[in-house]
Amino acid sequence: MTLFHFFNCAILTFGPHAVYYSATPLSEYDTLGTSVKAALVYLGTALVKLVCLATFLNVSENDSFDPYQELLKALIGFIDVAGLYFALTQLTHRNISQNHKFQAVGLGWAFADSVLHRLAPLWVGARGLEFTWDFILQGLEANANLVLSISLAALGSLMWLRKNKPKTLIPIIYACAGIVATMPSITSYLRRGLGWHFPKVVGFELFTSLVTAFISWQLFSACQRPSS
Amino acid sequence: MSSKKPGERQVLESIYTMIALVFVLVTCVELCDAATVVDVYRLIQYDISGVPFGSRFATLNHHAGSLHFASGVDLSRTVVIIPVRELNITFVKEYFAQRKPLGGLLFLLPQMFNFENRDVVSGSEDEIHEKELIKTVLVELERLLIHASIPYPVYFAFEDDDIDAVLADVKRSDASGQPATATTGGYKLVVSAPEPKKIVSPTITNIQGWLPGLKADGDPNQLPTIAIVASYDTFGTTPALSVGSDSNGSGVVALLEIARLFSLLYSNPKTRGRYNLLFGLTSGGPYNYNGTHKWLRSFDQRLRESIDYAICLNSVGSWDNELWIHVSKPPENAFIKQIFEGFSSVAEELGIEVGLKHKKINISNPRVAWEHEQFSKLRVTAATLSELSAAPELFESTGGLSDSRHFVNETAIVRSIKLVAESIARHIYGHQGKNVQIFADDTSLAVNAPYIISWLDLLSQTPRVAPFLSKNDPFVVALKKELEDHTYEVHMQHEVLDGMFTLYDSTKAKLNIYQVASVTFDLLLLLVLGSYLIILFTFLVITTRGLDDLISLFRRPPSRKVKTA
Repeated sequence: MTLFHFFNCAILTFGPHAVYYSATPLSEYDTLGTSVKAALVYLGTALVKLVCLATFLNVSENDSFDPYQELLKALIGFIDVAGLYFALTQLTHRNISQNHKFQAVGLGWAFADSVLHRLAPLWVGARGLEFTWDFILQGLEANANLVLSISLAALGSLMWLRKNKPKTLIPIIYACAGIVATMPSITSYLRRGLGWHFPKVVGFELFTSLVTAFISWQLFSACQRPSS
Repeated sequence: MSSKKPGERQVLESIYTMIALVFVLVTCVELCDAATVVDVYRLIQYDISGVPFGSRFATLNHHAGSLHFASGVDLSRTVVIIPVRELNITFVKEYFAQRKPLGGLLFLLPQMFNFENRDVVSGSEDEIHEKELIKTVLVELERLLIHASIPYPVYFAFEDDDIDAVLADVKRSDASGQPATATTGGYKLVVSAPEPKKIVSPTITNIQGWLPGLKADGDPNQLPTIAIVASYDTFGTTPALSVGSDSNGSGVVALLEIARLFSLLYSNPKTRGRYNLLFGLTSGGPYNYNGTHKWLRSFDQRLRESIDYAICLNSVGSWDNELWIHVSKPPENAFIKQIFEGFSSVAEELGIEVGLKHKKINISNPRVAWEHEQFSKLRVTAATLSELSAAPELFESTGGLSDSRHFVNETAIVRSIKLVAESIARHIYGHQGKNVQIFADDTSLAVNAPYIISWLDLLSQTPRVAPFLSKNDPFVVALKKELEDHTYEVHMQHEVLDGMFTLYDSTKAKLNIYQVASVTFDLLLLLVLGSYLIILFTFLVITTRGLDDLISLFRRPPSRKVKTA
C-alpha cells in the first residue's frame, strides 16, 4: 500500500514530463538528446549554485527570513538563467526548430530539477507508513515547475535566439523573464517571510505558473506573427 | 549517426551510475518518519514450570481503536488503546475470560507513574484522591494481567500530548462509525520487536556485609549474630517499570540506614556490642525468596547456629500507625516472645502499634510468602516486619507498576528504622525495658532523613527485576559500595535462579504511530491522477498538433510504429 502511494506520487511528479514529451511534436522530432543535454547542464548549474551558496551564504540557525541573505540567494538564483542561456545558445543541437528547442530544453531542465530535488525525499518519505499530503503537494509543485521552466525557456529563446522581434515587446519580455527567474525567491519569501503553509504556496505556484505560461505563450505568438 | 551513439551511451551510463549512487544513499537513510514515536513497556512474559503466563507476543502492527467501538465489531486486527484513568476493569476481565481475540492492548498510564519524569507534584486533595483511585485500579489490573496468559501483545505507555491527540482522533472516528481513512484519521501502531527469547540461567545476586562485635579476650565462644535482611528485587506487570518503592525499596533503604547507624556505634570500641551484625540484601524475593534460600544454604552450620535471630524488612514505607511482625513459630515460643516484647516496648514509646501474626509453614507447599520462612525452615529464629497484615499471594506486593514513589512516605520509613534500630540496640546492650533512646533525634546517632530520601529516590527510579539485572549491574554495584562504606567483609554471591521460573526478554520497545491512508484512498488517487494525465495528454495533442492528430493516434497505431521504426 505504501509502495502504491509512492507510485502515485511518482506518477504525479514525473508523469507530466513524459506526457509532455510524448504528446507534443517533441517525440516526433526525437529531441530526447537535447533534453538530456539540458538536464546535464542543469546538473552543472546546480553544482555551481551549491558552491556559490556555500561560499557566500552564512548558515542561519533559525528559519527566519533575512532580506539581505534572500537577496543574495536571488542573485545566485540567476545562475539558473545563465545555465539556461548556455543550454539554449551554446549547445550544438541537431537542426531542430526554435519552437522545439526551447520546449526540449525546458523539459529537460524541469525533469532534472524534479529528479534532483524530489526523487530522494519521495523515495524515503512516501514509502513509509505515515500518510501526509506533502508528497502529493510536492508532485503538484513539480507540475508547476515544469510549466515555469518551459515558460522561462520560451522567454529565453525569445530574448537570445530570435533576432527580429517587435521593439515594443522587448521590455515586457525582459520583465517577464526577470519575474519568472526570481520565482524561487518569491516562493521562499512567501513560505518563510509571510509564514504561508505548504498547500497555499503550492496553490500560488500553480496559479502563477499558469499565468506566466499564458503570458509567454501570448508573447511568443506575438513575436511569431511578423516573421511568418 | 554512428559517431553520436557512443556519446549518448556514455551519457546514459553516467546517468545510470548516478541513479545507482542516489539509491545507495537512500537505502542508508533510516526510515524513521513516524508521526509519533513513544516508549512502550511490554507486559511481562514468563513461565512457571512450563505453564505460560503474561503476554506471549511482542510485535505489533495493527490499526488503533478505542473503547468506543460499536458492539459486535471484530477487534482481532485492532489495538485497543485504554487510558487507565477511564479503565473499565469489567471489560478487560470479560475479554480475558471469553478469550476474545484482540490485535493488541495499549494501556496509557498517567504521567505520575513515570519515574523518569519526577516533576509531577501532587498538591490538592482531589489529586491525592485521584491518585489513590488510580492505584486501586492499577493494583486490580496488575493482578488480572499477571496471572493471565494473553495471546496478543500488551503494552503500557505514558500519556502525553501526542498520544492523547491520537487517542482523541481515534475516539472521534470510532464514535462516528466510519472506517479509517486518511482524512478521518486512521492510525497504525507498529512495534517491531524481535521474538521474545527466554532468559537463560538468570543470575540473582545476594550482597552481605558484617559488623563484627567485640570479643572479650580469651573467650573461645563465637559471638552471637543478629541478621538484618531485606530483599531488593522486584517483579511486576512491566519489568521495565517495576521500581517497587515500597516493596521492597523501603526495606532496602531501612537496611542501609540501620547499617550506617550501627557502623557509627561499632566504630568505637567502647560502644561496640557483643553481637555480630549481619546485613543481607537478597535477591529473588518474588520467586519464593529463592535468593535468601541459596544465601542461607551457603552458610556453614556453625554460622547458622550462631544467628540469634533475623529481622527481615519488607514494605515498611506506607503505613500510618500499625506495623506487623510476622513469625512462623507460635507466639508462645520464648525467642519470639523476646523479639516481640523488645519491639513492642520501643513501639509504645514511639507511638506505633505493633501486632504479631503467626503463620505456619506448610513444608509441602513450594510457596514461601515471607522471607523469614526461609530462615525458619533452617531452624533459625526470624521475623518479618511489614506493613502488610496478611501474607501476599505469589507476585503480589512485589513492587509492580502501582508501587511508585508517590505512595511512599519518608516519615514512615524513618519511624520503622527507629523501631528496628532501637529494638536491636537495646537487645545488644541489654537495655530491654529501659527507656533509653540510643538513636534520639538531634544527636550524632539520629536517623538521617536526606540519606533515606536520596536512596529512596534512586531505588524508585531503578527497575530491579532480578533476571534483567546483570551480574555487575551498576545498581547492584552501587548497593555493594554503599554497604562497603558501613560494614566489613562485604561480598556478592551470584546464584542461578531456580528453574521453575522462566522470564522472557524484550521488556521495552519503541512504538511508532503512523497516520495511514486507506487503500481505497490510494486507488481513488490513482484514478484521479490517471485521468489528469490523460486529459493533459489530449489537451497537449490538440493544442500542438490538432484534433485530427489525436484521432489518428487511436485510429492507426501500427502505422505510427512503422514510421518511428
